[in-house]
Amino acid sequence: MGFRLKLGVSALALAVASGAAFAQDDEFWKKAAEPYQGVTLRGVTEATPPSNYVREVLAPQFEELTGIRVDIETTSWDQMYDKAIKDMESGTGIYDMIYIEQDIVYAYLARDFLTNVTQMLADNPQLKAPTFDEGAFTTFADYFKDEDGGLYGIPMEAFIKVYLYRTDLFNDPEVQAAFKEKTGHDLKPATTHAEYAEIAQFFTDWGKEHDEDLWGTTSQAHTGHPASWYEYVESIAPTFGVYNWGIDAANNYAATVEHGGRMNSPEAKEALKWFLAMRDLAPPESVQSTWTEVASTFAAGRAAQGIVYGENAAWIASDENQSRVVGNVGVALPPLEDGILAQVEGGEGYVGYYDGGAFGLPVTSKNKEAALLFLEYIGQDSVQAQWALAGSRITNTATYDDPEVQALDKELGGYFTMLRDSGKLFAGAPPYPFHAQVREAVAPIFYEILTGTIEPDAGLDQMAERAEQELTDLGYRQ
Amino acid sequence: MSRNWLYVLFWIFVSFLTLFPIYWLFVISVKPAVELFSTPDLILRDFYWKNYVDVLNDRTLRSYMVNSLVISSGNAVLCTVLGFLACYALSRFDMGGKESIFFWTITNRMAPPAVFLLPLFLLLTQVYKMGDFSLLDTRIGMILVYCTFNLPFAIWTLRPTIEGIPKELDEAAHVDGASPWRVIWEVVFPLARPGLAVTLILTWVFAWNEYLLAATLTNFNARTLTTGLSEYVTTTGTEWGIMATISVFTLIPALIVFGMVQRHIVAGLTFGAVKG
Amino acid sequence: MQSNRLGWLLLAPTLLILAMFGVFPFIYVLFVSFHQWNPFAVNPEMMFNWAANYRRVVFDAQFIASLGVTAAFVFFAVVSELVIGYALAQAFMKDFPGKAFFRTIHTLPLIMAPIIVGSVWKLMTTPSIGIIPHLLDNWFGYDLNIGQSATAAFVVTVIMDIWHWTPLVTLSLIAALVSLPPDPFEQAQIDGAGRWQIFWHITLPMIRPAILATVFIRLMDALRTVDEVLMLTGGGPGSATRYVGVHIFKEVFPRTNYGYGSAISVVVLYVTIVVCWLLYVGLIAPRNKKG
Repeated sequence: MGFRLKLGVSALALAVASGAAFAQDDEFWKKAAEPYQGVTLRGVTEATPPSNYVREVLAPQFEELTGIRVDIETTSWDQMYDKAIKDMESGTGIYDMIYIEQDIVYAYLARDFLTNVTQMLADNPQLKAPTFDEGAFTTFADYFKDEDGGLYGIPMEAFIKVYLYRTDLFNDPEVQAAFKEKTGHDLKPATTHAEYAEIAQFFTDWGKEHDEDLWGTTSQAHTGHPASWYEYVESIAPTFGVYNWGIDAANNYAATVEHGGRMNSPEAKEALKWFLAMRDLAPPESVQSTWTEVASTFAAGRAAQGIVYGENAAWIASDENQSRVVGNVGVALPPLEDGILAQVEGGEGYVGYYDGGAFGLPVTSKNKEAALLFLEYIGQDSVQAQWALAGSRITNTATYDDPEVQALDKELGGYFTMLRDSGKLFAGAPPYPFHAQVREAVAPIFYEILTGTIEPDAGLDQMAERAEQELTDLGYRQ
Repeated sequence: MSRNWLYVLFWIFVSFLTLFPIYWLFVISVKPAVELFSTPDLILRDFYWKNYVDVLNDRTLRSYMVNSLVISSGNAVLCTVLGFLACYALSRFDMGGKESIFFWTITNRMAPPAVFLLPLFLLLTQVYKMGDFSLLDTRIGMILVYCTFNLPFAIWTLRPTIEGIPKELDEAAHVDGASPWRVIWEVVFPLARPGLAVTLILTWVFAWNEYLLAATLTNFNARTLTTGLSEYVTTTGTEWGIMATISVFTLIPALIVFGMVQRHIVAGLTFGAVKG
Repeated sequence: MQSNRLGWLLLAPTLLILAMFGVFPFIYVLFVSFHQWNPFAVNPEMMFNWAANYRRVVFDAQFIASLGVTAAFVFFAVVSELVIGYALAQAFMKDFPGKAFFRTIHTLPLIMAPIIVGSVWKLMTTPSIGIIPHLLDNWFGYDLNIGQSATAAFVVTVIMDIWHWTPLVTLSLIAALVSLPPDPFEQAQIDGAGRWQIFWHITLPMIRPAILATVFIRLMDALRTVDEVLMLTGGGPGSATRYVGVHIFKEVFPRTNYGYGSAISVVVLYVTIVVCWLLYVGLIAPRNKKG
């Protein structure tokens, strides 16, 4: 707890310490910022640790260097979208920078809300910082580009949803022996769904037998919040081979099997049943768990393994104030069905979401040039390492080689290494401009499946039909 | 005498029920996050003060607190005064269609707020502005916007009080040569004190707690505490402890305001005590 | 009777503010409700579509279901708040030691923002880690699971609302009770009337306007409940607590369904007005005219 505020205290020290590093580039920034003295830039973002680092550290640094003031408004997740959309839709021009979560970028692009940064830099060479290079970003930046390679957002955070397991339990000889005796297998992190289920069952039984608060898996199974739907479509369905929510964009946005979609395909149904089976083995609070609570459940030591968002993996593994399992966290790829890994490596599909966000420049901004300078500033390699330490996010390739980042990586059980080496197996959200719309249309049915009111198979059939209906209403499906 | 003590016992019981969630709020504020996800314990065994240190050190929260105080106090006073004048007009004058007006005022409070955010946003940014100054993200803007739900409330809660004040009193003052203005402030206003105090408290509470409008219509300068609270609900984590700590702090100014205003409810008792 | 000019003058600021921030936005919403408008549709512009949105509302099973649970929620919450609130207000009419202290405690829930109330109740009631399910299980062996049981979630939202808003009813009724003239009560006591007779024939008729005003306020506020429930259950499990406020929020915010959301809002507003108007005409207006 207090992750965000801890930042505030150390911000000053950091700002002083890193001030020296930029000395050689000061010249460019001062000169480029000359015409924009007195300008105040305004950004809106979510109050996550990486965003708070921008507000508390990078913005003051930039102001000191250039004289351009940067105000960052932090707000809650749904408010952030609503405010950015209202501003851009009405052309008010309140914001010069907006946080774009990876899955909404396609909606913004479809509406021409965002400025093409590549294009703007080409048109205004006097604004191009020598230390800014679009090529320095990891592949995550590709999810913010149009077909011509124009970049529409400066990546600021990127995460993969990983499989976490408790090394203290998995390496405990007593546990290992019991597992071997019960199942006939050696206890090691699962690579398939069957193995994962076996381990989950074992630990849930173990918790019962030993009267401990321990269960075999986490489950993001909230019965009224879209987090549960996301866990299913982002993290479970792809590992059964159902990609892009089972909607086939190339085929008139079909969702039902009847029309060529896969949302209610046999694989999707199998995936859903597996998800429900794991939910039943998870701690009782799972029916009220979003991404937050899943992380807290794991951090409290209540689950032996779980699929957890990468942004939480860091504090679970390292923050003693928030976690009881510091030093006991192992990181692995999510369990997969046979053949999926080959499919993904062959370029078809993905094993989970590569999520995160970028800062974009709305076309309605009244201070585009100054805002562009700030975006370049936060995209430089030189500011990345400290930012990675504060927010456990990596968006530039060079950041992986920083010694401090590598030290943190060890503490995190190799999370950054996995991000670097296996990041390519994960993919950004499907390039749909209608994420929230279709999600809200089908999620109520999904909640009914979770409560048991609707059978899983029938529910998926209904979801696929509802999705097609919504896509027809929106005009995507003809 | 013994019956009095029965009342005290009864109130101790009621207070226990009332206080339990507030006690739990405090418990959340003095526990590290990880302990919230464990088998719960009714009794607090040790204290973790870090949340308090963090909140006290946060400058932005202090400015949110000031905004909240200014907006809710300004709005409560404005609504109570305007509501009082409106009720006086509705009760003492024989204007055509006044019952329809009275009912119409309350319909402003019935609207589901979510869809009204867009028109309010457009009005504030594009219509109610002079040059560069728009009402968006200003305290005065929020004070006026909050009137949409608080002014009808004030009118509706004050009307029974004003109607209950015998008209003979102000007519007598009128006959004695007092101006209408003096009748309103020196005869009717003091007699309406219990109702005014309750209206002031409750309008203040509604403004103090409002979230959705403030979240949409403020950005930097006029942000209130409730919008500050929502910053802690993020995709990375809901910071229950910090949220709870801020709420504990918000109880303090609220208690002061309540303490100041509540005396006037008691003062009203001399006007007519009821033996039920 | 004084000149009506002064009356209108006293009303003017109220009418002006409500027109600026109440009526104009409403006209806009009404206008939007006759359009198909989702900024993330293939055609992001507003398209006039006659009354298609309204036709859809009538057949929208989800919305109708939402209205049903809302009605139940509002009924149970408001009736309980009225009964408990009146009883507590009467109890405050007595003199007893520490009265001011207890009254202050009783008003504390009001100062907690709905978003916080929802958070605290969520942490108190989450299965396995919340204190309430824990105690219920220990003491009675009862398994309270608001993430799985529709009834449990519904009841918890009602209790939460009662906890949060009963003090409002109490305070409003205290204001009404302390303003009552003492004469009728003294006369009744002299005439030897019983407690119930006094309550039924004197107190109740005299504070009826205040009771109804309070009921109206609570009724319309309960109909608009969003933050607490969104925080506590998210409208779940399933759609057990997807009250109209929550339903509209989800239509308008994440789903950006501005046209249809506006139509639903207009319908909800209309239903609220009709219900309140009937209550008002039947119960309050006659008395005001007499007075």
